[in-house]
Order: sequence, then structure tokens, then C-alpha cells
Amino acid sequence: MILISAVLATFAAVTLWWTMHAWRTPETLAATRFAEPDGDHRLTFSLLLPARHEQAVLEHTIQRLLRSTHQGYEIIVIVGHDDPDTAAVAHAAAAKAPGRVLVVTDHNEVKNKPRALNTALPFVRGDVVGVFDAEDQVHPDLLEHVDHAFRSTGADVVQGGVQLINFDSSWYSLHNCLEYFFWFRSRLHLHADKGFIPLGGNTVFVRSDVLRTANGWDGTCLAEDCDLGVRLSSRGAKVTVAYEASLVTREETPDTIGSLLKQRTRWNQGFLQVLRKGEWRRLPSFGQRLLARYTLLGPFFQAFSGIAIPIGIAVAILADLPIGIALATFVPVVPMAANIVFQTVGLRDFGKQYDLRITPVHYARLILGALPYALVLSVAALRAVWREYTGRRNWELTTHVGAHINANAEAGAA
Amino acid sequence: MTTTTSLIPKARGTLDRTSPTRELVPVVPPRVVRRRELTGGEGLLAGLLTTLVIVVLTVNISGFPMASDDEGTYLAQAWAVATGKGLAHYTYWYDHPPLAWIQLAALSWIPDLFGVTGPAVTAGRVAMIPVVAACLLLVYLICRRLGMGIRASAIGLLIFGLSPLTITMYREIYLDSFAVAWMLGALALVLSPRRNLWHYTAAGAATAIAVLSKETMLVTLPAVAVALWQNAARSSTRPWAVGGYLSGLVLVGVFYPLYAVLRGELFPGPGHVSLIGAWQFQLANRSGTGSVFTPGSGSYELVQSWLFYDPVILVAGLLATAAALFVRRLRPAAVAALILVLVAIRPGGYLPAMYVVQLLPFFAIVTAGMLDVAARAVPRDRRWWRPALATVAVLLAAMLIGPRWVAGNHRNLTVDDNAGYTAAAEYLHTSLPDRANATVVTDDVLWLDCVDAGIPREQVIWFYKLDLDPAVQARLPNGWRDVDYLISTPALRQDPSTLPLVTALLTHSTLEASFGPADARIEIRRIDKEDPA
Repeated sequence: MILISAVLATFAAVTLWWTMHAWRTPETLAATRFAEPDGDHRLTFSLLLPARHEQAVLEHTIQRLLRSTHQGYEIIVIVGHDDPDTAAVAHAAAAKAPGRVLVVTDHNEVKNKPRALNTALPFVRGDVVGVFDAEDQVHPDLLEHVDHAFRSTGADVVQGGVQLINFDSSWYSLHNCLEYFFWFRSRLHLHADKGFIPLGGNTVFVRSDVLRTANGWDGTCLAEDCDLGVRLSSRGAKVTVAYEASLVTREETPDTIGSLLKQRTRWNQGFLQVLRKGEWRRLPSFGQRLLARYTLLGPFFQAFSGIAIPIGIAVAILADLPIGIALATFVPVVPMAANIVFQTVGLRDFGKQYDLRITPVHYARLILGALPYALVLSVAALRAVWREYTGRRNWELTTHVGAHINANAEAGAA
Repeated sequence: MTTTTSLIPKARGTLDRTSPTRELVPVVPPRVVRRRELTGGEGLLAGLLTTLVIVVLTVNISGFPMASDDEGTYLAQAWAVATGKGLAHYTYWYDHPPLAWIQLAALSWIPDLFGVTGPAVTAGRVAMIPVVAACLLLVYLICRRLGMGIRASAIGLLIFGLSPLTITMYREIYLDSFAVAWMLGALALVLSPRRNLWHYTAAGAATAIAVLSKETMLVTLPAVAVALWQNAARSSTRPWAVGGYLSGLVLVGVFYPLYAVLRGELFPGPGHVSLIGAWQFQLANRSGTGSVFTPGSGSYELVQSWLFYDPVILVAGLLATAAALFVRRLRPAAVAALILVLVAIRPGGYLPAMYVVQLLPFFAIVTAGMLDVAARAVPRDRRWWRPALATVAVLLAAMLIGPRWVAGNHRNLTVDDNAGYTAAAEYLHTSLPDRANATVVTDDVLWLDCVDAGIPREQVIWFYKLDLDPAVQARLPNGWRDVDYLISTPALRQDPSTLPLVTALLTHSTLEASFGPADARIEIRRIDKEDPA
């Protein structure tokens, strides 16, 4: 029991350590931002925008991308051959902006995001491929900053920030938003430093030649973004991560707890697939391979902790254990509770950076919802393991209603 | 590695684009930039000074000052922890948080390592030496991190370490020494020049350990808070630093009440001790020792005894505290000293003998700090002022402080106040008849020696528990007639009126052996069981 406690406490402490990476010292925090661009536009971008049954939000997303200040870019919208509604919206947008917007139709029988992206890859003309989702709100200045980041750091990949914004929609959306906040604001920078990075699904920019050499995306993987990051870092690609609150791509949380569960199951299962593919074994150093293993298994450690720690405490309180052992079962709670304290600080910071009003109700939701949210994640992790080992590897899509657009349409443009 | 995180400054974000022309602000380098990171040479200096102080501390550590009942109690509790018998040699009743003597138990191998002999208490003092060394090094480190120069910091270490009062008090086995070490550690961590989040978190944990070593250390927490606030000022990570500190503080500190909860001893109830019950008792029932300003009161006498050992550090510290409150960088230490002084002079309070242990390092830091401020006030362009003033200061110090400290430390190094205890312990080990069956009442200084001498633990009774612990009384159905020997010491004779059974033992006993001088005599007395009540 003491051994389990020690293991759980170590996992929780390591996770906390990494999660807080960016805030370790004022210097590390300063290093996580985009550098001020020099105003030059040297690179050309091909922005891939896969859309599936997303006619409600696609038009808005394209219009916003067209407001980019950068001179050299094209938008390639990828629609399915069985999805006339979305295709109609895409073609209408292409007609309004000829030369800027291109529509590519994906004829694959089984549709998913990596296949859609691969369909578009032969049409890419730019130096750099950027990926966005159909519901993303992209800042007009972003491309200019990315252009500068590529040139000033000599990177092969630039990962920009993604942030869920609709923290007020439900009890879990708050936790979901904070997860993104800590992931993109902090944790990804650590991964970039260490040379092993599971990339995000959008606002990710890759040099076209590097992407073609890597054969694009893996059409069978449920977490194609993570897989691409692992393959590129295993081949020694240089990855830069930059986060700037005003420039992040805004997204929305899944609209129901069920779709959150599905989305999370898909990611976790994708992580498992990436782990099983074993590309990460090519990483040069033992530390990196350990980091890879730990990161890809992270959701499952989390799930295990989420269940084991409450059970341990219940046993400690109800059963008549020796006092030393009973106290030891509480040790893993320390890093977990510290995590909640830091999330509280993070929520305040989140509110300040995005100019959102955080009320005591939100803090209450944060603290009271922490355990239920951990349980939801645990269920998703278990579901992922179950699906992977029963061979169900189809793509469960998350639907989007556009909550973040209505709520924050002007916040991002301001 | 080939990957990296991109650099640096803030993007313009929502601001309008500015024109590229920029007015050049002439950069004026500050006259003196003091590095706050320590170098290897400095570590050597601090180490040498610490060694010097430790030598003075160690020589005659078992002879002076006289062993006190408190020392014996803490040592016996540490013994109970080390031998797995629980948190105390009697029922642990939450009188103090137990962390200090748990640490003492962890250090209990040190006297054995050096083969120290003699009574358990004076041997146990050797285990305190690393704790004092840590305090000394931390005082130096804190001085440097408060922006003082190397010389001022070294003076701070020496003021603290060589004061005869420090040598006297830090030799003894007090919980306060552990608490001070951890609190100084917390202060050094929050003043870390790297402003690392985990340093702040560790500082919170160190604060909690300090408070769980000696609960009264809690009053100096505002000093750490001030230091944290100042050091994290103008940094983008201040909220995180505060969060980290609070996490460390609360999440470590909560284990003490948690221990009580898991044992079902949080709230008072019939038939068991409790944490809250102990707090109620200590807040409500502890009689004060009077005001430090009333001649004749306990507090007054205590302060007089401190002044007897060393008035220099106390007077200089008090004056420097008042001045240092107005110097921003010295404020954390000044706040700690001020709070400790205010608590000491509060009317009607209880002032324990070891209280000054907490005060001394902070007095030393503010004194050195004010010397640093004074030295910096000397104009730099007058070439001869600095060496001249320094010479005058050294001569003044040698004349005013020198004789007192030499006399005080001469006493520390030569006087043997524990010869009586040493002889009594020797007698217990060699001459007490029928040890395996004897029931002995003693003070806590000799408690552990009695157990070491082979008397069964249940039959060695701390005199204090004789009248106050029902469980002990239950073991003696015939009252004082079940006792075979009484070891009468100054601590035992101090306050006999409140302890009727002890008084009965004193009257119904005959002197077997006697050790030490008349005013501190230690007597082995055989109980006259046939005496009429």
C-alpha cells in the first residue's frame, strides 16, 4: 500500500512538475512567447481546412482567415464527396475569393481528418503547410508571427497556441479550457525543449518538404496530430512552440459530456496506437524515450490515479490501518491538491489574459468539479483501452455548435 | 538537441503597430551591482566561520549549561520514536507537534558515532550540532540574499554564532532550534534570486515543518510572506509563487491535524486526548509569567538572565530592528524580530525559557544589515574615510563587546554544571541495588539513564506524571509506598506544592547518595515504606 502510494505520488508530482514548466521562473515564462515579427513576408503558406458536416461554422472561419495580414497564403478547404451542404459553403467562399481559396474533394470511402489532409497534400503550393479546423477562430496577425518564427529559429515545425474559450458553458468546460491553457501555455514548451512533442491538431505549421518526406499524415491513426509530432521529432525535426494570448486559435469545448467522452476516448486511443507503432523508439536519448513512453501512457496513469487515490483514502479512513500507512495513503493527494491550487491561479491568469470575468462561482466549479472531471477522464481512458483491444478503431467525430464564435466573436478581433 | 523554444519579448498583441523609430534611453549602469548568487570561495568562507563557531559550541557542550528537564523530556520522546514505542514516552497528548523530536530521533546516531559518554542528555546535545551548523549557514545565506555584502554577512554569522547567549541556548536540546533552522530555510528559499516556483513551494513546506517543529514559530510567518512578496515583485510569476508557497505550507501542515483525525483524536472526548483539547488547555489554562517590565515576575527574571549572558546582541538587535523596519530589503528579518519582541512583551503572556532561541538569528541579521547600510552610506569618493571608520568600528567593538563575549564564552568553555548529573547517572548504572525490580521516580534528565541502567521502562516514572497521569497512578495502587527510590533534583524540587505525591515521597524517604554542589544537589533517596502516612 505504501508502495502504491509512493508510485502514485511520484506520477502526480512529475505531472505537476511538467505542467508548471512555463511558470518556473520569470525567464522561462518570457521565453514561451512569440517574438515580435520584423514585418517581412518571406514564406508562403498553404492552410488546410478539413470540414465535415460543419456548414454552420465554415463560412465564418474562412472569412476570418481571409483577414490575415500576411501576403502569401492560400486556403485549401477539404470537403467530403458525401457532404453536399459543407461543399456548397466551401465552393461559395472559393467563388468569392478566387486564387485564395481552393476546394478539394475527398473521395475516400472511410472519412477521417488525416485522410482528408493527405488528399490535399498534392495540391499544396506553399513553403509551409498549416492546419486548422473548421470551427477555429484564427487571429489575422498569426501568419506574420509564424513566418517570423520560422525564419528566426530555423524551425521545421511551429506550433501555435490553441485555446478553448467557452469556459462558462458548463461545469466541465471550465476544466476543459484550463486543460488546454496549461497544455499549450506550459507543457508543450517542455516537450519542445526536450525534443519529443505530440503536436496539437491545429494551428500547427510544418515545412512542406519536411511533411512530404515524412509521407504526410497516418490515415489510420486516431491521433494523427500526436503521431505526426512523434514521427517528426524522432527524425530530429526542430520544433518551436510559441504562445501569445492575443494570437491563439480559439475553439470550443465539446457541447455535451458524451461528446467530450468520445473526443477524449479517441485521443487516448490514438496515443495508444502511437505507442504501439513504436516510432518513438528512434529517439536518440534514453531520457527522450522515457518521456515519450510516459507522455503516451499519461492518460492511463491519470485514469489509474483518479480511481486509486480515492479508494486508498476511503480505505485509510474506514479500515483500521496502522497510522503510518494511513498517513502514507494521503501523500499522493498532496501533488493533486497542489495541482488544484495552481489551477485556481491559472484560472485567474486565464481570465486576465483573455479579458474574461471570473467569479467565485467559477472558482467553486473548479474545486468541486475537479474530482468528477478526473472521473470522466478516467472513464475515457478505460474506454479507449477497451476499444483498442476489441479492435474498434473508427473515428467518433465531435460536433460543434459555434458557442465560442457567438460569445467571443469580437474579443479576438479587438 | 535540435528542438527549442522560441525567444522572446512580448508581441504587440492588441496594440496598434508602432513606428520603428525608437528613442534611445541612455543606460546608466548602477554603481555597484551585488551578485546574490554565492560563489565557491564564499562557501568556503561561510564554512570556515561556521566551523569556528561549532568548535566553540562543542567544547564543554556537556558541562554547560546545566541539563534541564525540558531537554530530558524531548530526548526521551525522541527515544520513544527511535525505538518505535510511539510519539512520546508517555501518552502523547498534543502538547507540541512532534516533528522536532522525530528529527532528533533521526539524528540520534550522531552521539554514538563519536562515542560520547555521560548522562543521556548531555550526550544527546551532540545531535544538535548539525542543526546549529545549518542555522549558521542559513544566516549567512539570508544576509547575502537580503543584499548585504560578504563582510556584513560574515559579521552577521559571527554575531549570531559567537554571542555567549547563542552558545548557551543552542547547546541545549530545544525544539526551537529545529524550528529556527527550517524557518531560516524557508526565508532563504523565498529570497532565492532565481525566483523558481519550486523554491517557493519548498519554502512553504519548510515553513510548515518549522511550525510542526515548534508551534510558536508560526508568529514569524509574516516575515516570510513579506520576503516572498518583495522577491516576487515586478515578476510575471508572482501569483504562481504565492500559489506554490501556500500549497507547500498547507499541504504539509495539514498532516498534523490529519494524524489526529485518523486516530480519532481531533475533538475532545471522554477517555482520550485530543488536539483541540490540548489547544484549549494551553490557551486557557496556562498561567502567565508576568510582564517583562515588572521586577520580580518570571518574565522579568528570564530577560535578566538573558541579559546576563549577552546584553550586546539583545540591545543591538533591538535598536537595529527599529531602524531596519525602514529599510526595504531588510524588512523581512526586521518584521520577524519585531513580532517576536512584541509577543515577548505582551502583557500577561507566558514566556518560556527557550524563547530567545527564535529571536537570536533575526537580531543578528538585522544588526549586520544595519552595519551594511551604515557602511554603504560612507561616501565612496573619500578615499580615507572607509578604512578609518572601519578601524574605529573594529576598535570600538573590541573594547565594548570583546570583554563581555570573552568572559561569557570562557564560562561556556570551562564551567562544569553537570558533574552532579554525571555522577548520578554513573551511580544508577553501577550502584543502585536490584535494578530489575525497582520502581524509581525521577526527573526527565535522568529518565533515559534509568531505562539505560536496566530498570524496566514501566517502573521509571517521570515525577510530573505521578500526580497528573491517571494511567501512572493506576500502576501504583498503594500510592507512594509502591515506589522504591526517588531521585530528587532541582527540577523536581522546584514546585512541590502542586504535586502532593512528590511531596509525600520527599518526606517519607532517606538519603542514600548525594551528588553535586549544595544549590543543585542530586539525591538518590530510598522510600521508607513503613512510615506512617
